[in-house]
Amino acid sequence: MIDTARGFAVIVGFGLLGTLLHWLGIPLPGGVLGLLLFFVALSTGLVKLAWVERAAALLLRHMVLLFVPLTVGLMEMGQVLQRQAAAIIASLLVSWLAVLLTTGWLGRLLLPGDAVADAARDAAAEGAQ
Amino acid sequence: MTWFRNPAVSIAITLLAYALAVALHRRWRWIPPIVAACAPIMLLLLALGEPYGDYNRGGSLLTWILGPATVALAVPMYRQGKILRPLLPRLTVVVVAGAVVGMGSAGLMAWLLGAPLPVIMSTVPKSVTTPIAVELCKELKGIPQITIALVICAGVMGASFGVPLLRLAGVRNGLAIGAAMGTASHGVGTASLLRHSELQASVSSWAMAAAGVFTSVLAAMLMLFLR
Repeated sequence: MIDTARGFAVIVGFGLLGTLLHWLGIPLPGGVLGLLLFFVALSTGLVKLAWVERAAALLLRHMVLLFVPLTVGLMEMGQVLQRQAAAIIASLLVSWLAVLLTTGWLGRLLLPGDAVADAARDAAAEGAQ
Repeated sequence: MTWFRNPAVSIAITLLAYALAVALHRRWRWIPPIVAACAPIMLLLLALGEPYGDYNRGGSLLTWILGPATVALAVPMYRQGKILRPLLPRLTVVVVAGAVVGMGSAGLMAWLLGAPLPVIMSTVPKSVTTPIAVELCKELKGIPQITIALVICAGVMGASFGVPLLRLAGVRNGLAIGAAMGTASHGVGTASLLRHSELQASVSSWAMAAAGVFTSVLAAMLMLFLR
């Protein structure tokens, strides 16, 4: 419990820091700035993974809860949705497929195949032992 | 009924609906929790004639926590990044390409079909994980509700058709499938992977978080350009 509370405090702290930097004029959203700073803090060992693991897992696992209120707001968007339905749906389908295929094909070209990947992982695991 | 103006009431109702949705999802996997959670709340508000604005006085407190949830994405990015270190340069190329194509094709398509600017801007961040998509949508002066609906659809489409479509397109490489699902369908796509390997799951969750970050950087550049 204390553990989770400490993790929340650290995470919210980075969020506020990011919001401050955004307010000072950096054009990335505050949450993303907080994410980047938090990532750097984890990478440099300034923040230990063990401090924040539980709080982060809780936030990520129940993320759906957090976007319920905004989604309920769709009930007020009926008119816009109806008028723009074709554009919105076409944009979604085309763009989703484009992203999936671009990353899939580029990934096939650039990333190691399954056999190589498994061997590399095993080698890394042995090296780590 | 004025007691809806008390934030605690709408928070309690939202928590209840969410708990119910999770239980339903556990029993019937094909029900998306977000739909099961929102539908009863919408019906309740309509039945009582409550304006959304009153409900959202408490709702916006939950929305605020999306900020910390975005920050928390650094944890999977850090943890998976350590496992994937030798692959990161190539993976970065793949995810950046996906982010560019995702923003460009969504905006272009909506623009070609004559959507007004706020709707176009709402489609641009639709591939990335919800908390980041919402923040980007606000930055771009889009309509967050539309973005959220699109993000959810992109996730559900990935979970339902992503892997079969990729196989059809000749992509059988497990890591490529992981990267594509994380970039195109964020957390929902990632969670749907049948864990072909631990490495594939890592690639997918790293791609999900990285796609959010790279899309933010690209959106910031877009905004500087538009100004």
